[in-house]
Amino acid sequence: MESLRTLAPYLKMHTRQYIIGLVAVIIANSVNLLPYYFIRLTIDGLTGQTDTDPNTAGLTLATAGLYALGIVLAALTAGGFMLLMRRMIVVASRQTEYEIRRDLFAHLQTLDKHYYDRAKTGDLMNRLTGDLSAVREMLGFGAWQIVNIVSGFVTAFAVMFGLSWQLTLIVIAILPIIVGVLFYLARQISKRHRLAQEQNSLIAAKAQENFSGARVVKGYAIEDREIADYKSMNLELLRRNIALTKVEGPLRSFASLLIGLAFGLILLVGGRLILSPTNDGSFTVGMFVQFVGTLERLAWPMLMVGWITGVTQRGLASWLRLREMMDARPLVHDDRNRTNTRIRDLLGDVAFENVSLNYGNARVLENIDLTIPAGTFLGITGPTGSGKTLLAQLITRSIDPTSGVVKMDGQDVRVIPLNTLRDAISIVPQEPFLFSDTIANNIGFGLGNRDLPRVPTGISVVGAPPTPDIPQKPDPARVRNAARLAGLDGDIEGFPNGYDTMLGERGVTLSGGQRQRTAVARALVREPRILILDDSLSAVDTETERKILDGLREISAGRTVIVIAHRVSTLRHADQIVVLEAGRIVEQGTHEGLLAAGGHYAELERLQSLATDLDDDDDAVATPDEAANLLETGRMSAPGLPTKEKEQVTK
Amino acid sequence: MTAPDQSGDAYQKGFDAQLTRRIFVYLKPYVPLVVAGVVLALLIAVAQPMFALIQRHAIDTYLVPFERDRTLSTENLYRGLMVAALGYMALKVVEFCLTYAFTLAIGYLGQNVLRDIRGDVFTKLQRLHLAFFDQNPVGRLITRVTSDVDAINQFITGGLVSLIQSSFLIVAYVIIMLRVNWKLALISFTVLPVLYFATNFFRARLRDAFRMTRTQQAIVNTKLNENITGMLTVQLFGRENRSALDFDQSNRSLLTANVNSVKWFSLFMPVVAVLGQVAVALVLYFASRNILGGNGVAAGAFTIGTLYAFVQWTQQLFQPIQDLADVFNNLQAAMASSERIFGVLDTKEEVSDKPDAKPLNNFEGSVSFEGVWFSYDQTVTADTPASDDRWILRGIDLHIQPGESVALVGATGAGKTSVTALVSRFYDVQGGAVKVDGVDVRDLAQYDLRRHVGVVLQDVFLFAGTIEGNLTLNNPDISHERVVEACQYVGVHDYILSLPEGYQTEVRERGATLSTGQKQLLAFARALIQNPDILLVLDEATANVDTETELRIQHALQKVMLGRTSIIIAHRLSTIEGCDRIVVMRKGRIVEQGSHRELLQKGGYYARLHRLQYAQGDAAD
Ligand SMILES: Nc1ncnc2c1ncn2[C@@H]1O[C@H](COP(=O)(O)OP(=O)(O)OP(=O)(O)O)[C@@H](O)[C@H]1O
Ligand SMILES: Nc1ncnc2c1ncn2[C@@H]1O[C@H](COP(=O)(O)OP(=O)(O)OP(=O)(O)O)[C@@H](O)[C@H]1O
Ligand SMILES: [Mg+2]
Repeated sequence: MESLRTLAPYLKMHTRQYIIGLVAVIIANSVNLLPYYFIRLTIDGLTGQTDTDPNTAGLTLATAGLYALGIVLAALTAGGFMLLMRRMIVVASRQTEYEIRRDLFAHLQTLDKHYYDRAKTGDLMNRLTGDLSAVREMLGFGAWQIVNIVSGFVTAFAVMFGLSWQLTLIVIAILPIIVGVLFYLARQISKRHRLAQEQNSLIAAKAQENFSGARVVKGYAIEDREIADYKSMNLELLRRNIALTKVEGPLRSFASLLIGLAFGLILLVGGRLILSPTNDGSFTVGMFVQFVGTLERLAWPMLMVGWITGVTQRGLASWLRLREMMDARPLVHDDRNRTNTRIRDLLGDVAFENVSLNYGNARVLENIDLTIPAGTFLGITGPTGSGKTLLAQLITRSIDPTSGVVKMDGQDVRVIPLNTLRDAISIVPQEPFLFSDTIANNIGFGLGNRDLPRVPTGISVVGAPPTPDIPQKPDPARVRNAARLAGLDGDIEGFPNGYDTMLGERGVTLSGGQRQRTAVARALVREPRILILDDSLSAVDTETERKILDGLREISAGRTVIVIAHRVSTLRHADQIVVLEAGRIVEQGTHEGLLAAGGHYAELERLQSLATDLDDDDDAVATPDEAANLLETGRMSAPGLPTKEKEQVTK
Repeated sequence: MTAPDQSGDAYQKGFDAQLTRRIFVYLKPYVPLVVAGVVLALLIAVAQPMFALIQRHAIDTYLVPFERDRTLSTENLYRGLMVAALGYMALKVVEFCLTYAFTLAIGYLGQNVLRDIRGDVFTKLQRLHLAFFDQNPVGRLITRVTSDVDAINQFITGGLVSLIQSSFLIVAYVIIMLRVNWKLALISFTVLPVLYFATNFFRARLRDAFRMTRTQQAIVNTKLNENITGMLTVQLFGRENRSALDFDQSNRSLLTANVNSVKWFSLFMPVVAVLGQVAVALVLYFASRNILGGNGVAAGAFTIGTLYAFVQWTQQLFQPIQDLADVFNNLQAAMASSERIFGVLDTKEEVSDKPDAKPLNNFEGSVSFEGVWFSYDQTVTADTPASDDRWILRGIDLHIQPGESVALVGATGAGKTSVTALVSRFYDVQGGAVKVDGVDVRDLAQYDLRRHVGVVLQDVFLFAGTIEGNLTLNNPDISHERVVEACQYVGVHDYILSLPEGYQTEVRERGATLSTGQKQLLAFARALIQNPDILLVLDEATANVDTETELRIQHALQKVMLGRTSIIIAHRLSTIEGCDRIVVMRKGRIVEQGSHRELLQKGGYYARLHRLQYAQGDAAD
């Protein structure tokens, strides 16, 4: 019931449609009983019951014609009202489906990384498709079926009672059995249906994984195992489907059996009523036929009783799952009491003040203190899993710190409106996500998004204005320039369709290096105050990397640039380099300063240019093996400063 | 954004005898079931019209005579009525049993055929070459093993079966109605053609409308999927409003399509119902006329019972006629689906084992490329001129000794990844040969070859499941010890143990809570676990891993896998400078090779790369 209360706002948007529709159902149900009434009149007329003289017909042909016409008219009326009902209720349920989907989508857009880290796309998709359909079925089909069943039973029983209370009592006596059995069957069906559906999803997921991971499957030659797995899952599906068929297949014929048995009984008792010496014509064959015909009309509602409980249960359970999505709250969000909406422009001064971050019991960032003045270039390096990416995500406020403050221009980032903050920052994620759109639109992804109208939520779609069609047209000059800076222009011009080339799912049609550079261009084109590159040049060769870094320098005047990298060649021009290790800043300074300090960074530099340095040394430690040994034993005193050695090589 | 599944994915197709014959092949193993189904359908068809006959008999022989003549003995009449009622109930039970058996037989048949086809398609897809997966989006392949297979099942259970069943029923009803009263039968038949055409008309409209909703639903789903997976990117680029507008367009189109289907459907159902009542009214009127006859008293030929039976039969005849009208819709859908499925099954396996493929038992680890010419484009042949742009590799000669480590370097698109793909024989070459241990890879069984080659790619693919499952690829023969050992070598063991459930921790979607480097380390460990004793191909496998960890891995590898042949691609030169030989590629050709030191002395492309990477910014300024 709680769930119904939360559904009420959506129902209220369509009150009028539901009321008209439900009234139409009741009318249609009543009118639907008329044809058998006319049949009874005809039969009784023909058997001579109406004028109490069995030897003359009780009706003229004209009357019979009128009755026949009555049947057609009744059918037309009932049909008309059913049509009205469908156009009201079923359409309303479709509109509600649209509204819920629209609102859920808008809500999903407000959820943060924390939520998406835990969510499974398949699960969210299931809710947005399967669960939403279940809710819609409950509202559309369910709503009119409930009224249909109730009004169907009431009207039919009224008529039957009027015809013969004895027979009606029999029906009342056996009806619970019929409904009970059908109800039980319907429950079984929905249970087995769910089991089969679950197995179906498993199989689809298996196929999905197998096809997406084709390279791994083939690379490790595990096809046969995959086939065996798939076949056994398939066999299980077959079992569950047959179990379902066992209860679902005969449902209709079972209903027909039960109604048939009821008919047999009524024939026995009704026959007794007619064939009784005391029968004075108060119960006629015509009435018997009308009784049976009316009872037959109940077959469908009886079947539906079981169904409808299934539909309602499923609908309510599904609605709860949708509510769960709606009730999810982002950890990172604007807050009326905290957010200062007057902040419009940012300079790009970033500061971390004693920032720590926990995931569960694991402390992944610890007491980070770091100042990045506007317009400077910060390099970040450190071992795998040391927290570099998380540091970057704190700046974009994808996550909030567990303790401490991240500041932008001296203000806590939590005070800055999220869209102002993100307008000022462009990030190239470590694993960039590209969209299946043209390459130009992918590069211009972040352009022209301001001042767009919002899609209104929480309102009825009836009478709502159409969605404005505002196509994305990124400025070609800016896109080209960004592509040039990212060293991508040459590649794109080589594509047959140039900037209009469509990318496949997640950009699969691009090579690794091209994907990375597209993401770089996408970030550059926004000319942000702060630019963050998270290990974004790992898949490009040194020559291209050099070009990109030069391009960066071209536009970075006045911008804050943060580059995460493992290559010293990427980092060396930074104004400031930070070395992270296990979530702490262990070193900080300029390239030269850090080299002189002889710590981790110097070691990194030495490792990456080791062989070069030792080139002149004949008994050089040439293999990484020995280098690693060196590392372990702590023999750090490399012969001479690396910088000097390198100058020799360049000569 | 993408309109899903358009090309070649028509939803309907005319009847095609050859396709039908191929579907029938799948019925072959179940001939007894098919025969049982047909026999049962026949029996059911015979039983169905009997019910109205019994009712007619009861009304005409027991009930109406008494109403006409109240002096008749009620007891005798009632006894007869009782027999009729009990017979009716017994026949109902028999009919139910027949129907149940029929449903089971058909369900069993359909499910088995479904399973067989699915298994065949999946197996075929496993055997197809990698290029097939490059060309076909995952969504489309999934459609093949799900809805396309379902459509064929629908064709068998819904189409074929209801064709047989409906035909039997129609014949049974028509015969009995004609025999009982051919005039009235003909009168009630007049509605049937109208019903058939009305059903056909509405079905066609509905089919179009449903196709439209399916297309729109697919678009909405694709957009939802893309928006959910890319939501964080959307937010970082402040694009929420645009995405919402874009999504709302599709959402509205779906609503319009849905409302359109409702419109047709809401018309269709009442039209059928009205037609049914028109038939009843016709029967009623003409039966009355007949009964009233000349003198207004019932003439023997036509009775109240007959009237009643005709009302029943006319209504019952509606269902098979409608089903029959539907059969052709099912058929069209099934033809389109089976064409696509057989399209997959008929796809040539570009890379397949020769019948006399040699086993690869004692793999030494030598790899040689002998004048290899290669293109991803299937239309390129050995005769294509060398100047053609489509050539990816142009005469590669490369001989790698067992235990040697070779590094490939060169600009993006030079063909490095392609070289490694050929070693695993993901593609076949157009010219020359790739040999391992002196045997052409085309003469080896693929399974044997790939079992000995471990490939680690930069883009890590993690399957849903636990960390351990991802490392062993669910091979039950791999011991936990081996998993732990490999993880220790790549230095990810401690991290895994720090997770709440250690090796049994479920991997989040795409490894969301792992750092990129950690994912690469897992992929690395996976390669070590899967291929304990051979050739290792690292394609930018440690690009996101820090240098220290990388060195530690190399160090560990050297200790464990002495004599392992390795091919390494990396852009960070420190990763590869310890390799025995460095091969520089440019535009599909090998332009330089030698040791690190030799290449530096040579002063070519490699020396320039090296200078760029290590020189103190001189090249940049
Ligand atoms: N599956 C494929 N289908 C068609 N063309 C491909 C495919 N894979 C690669 N190519 C093309 O072949 C050429 C060589 O690609 P390859 O991946 O071998 O380059 P690479 O040297 O490994 O580059 P990178 O450094 O980016 O990995 C590229 O121009 C690429 O567009
Ligand atoms: N959402 C999360 N939930 C739990 N742990 C997380 C989450 N995100 C990251 N971690 C953990 O935090 C640590 C730091 O991760 P981060 O991604 O910042 O590493 P990184 O320095 O960027 O490493 P790499 O160089 O490999 O990219 C890792 O141990 C990682 O597993
Ligand atoms: Mg990272």
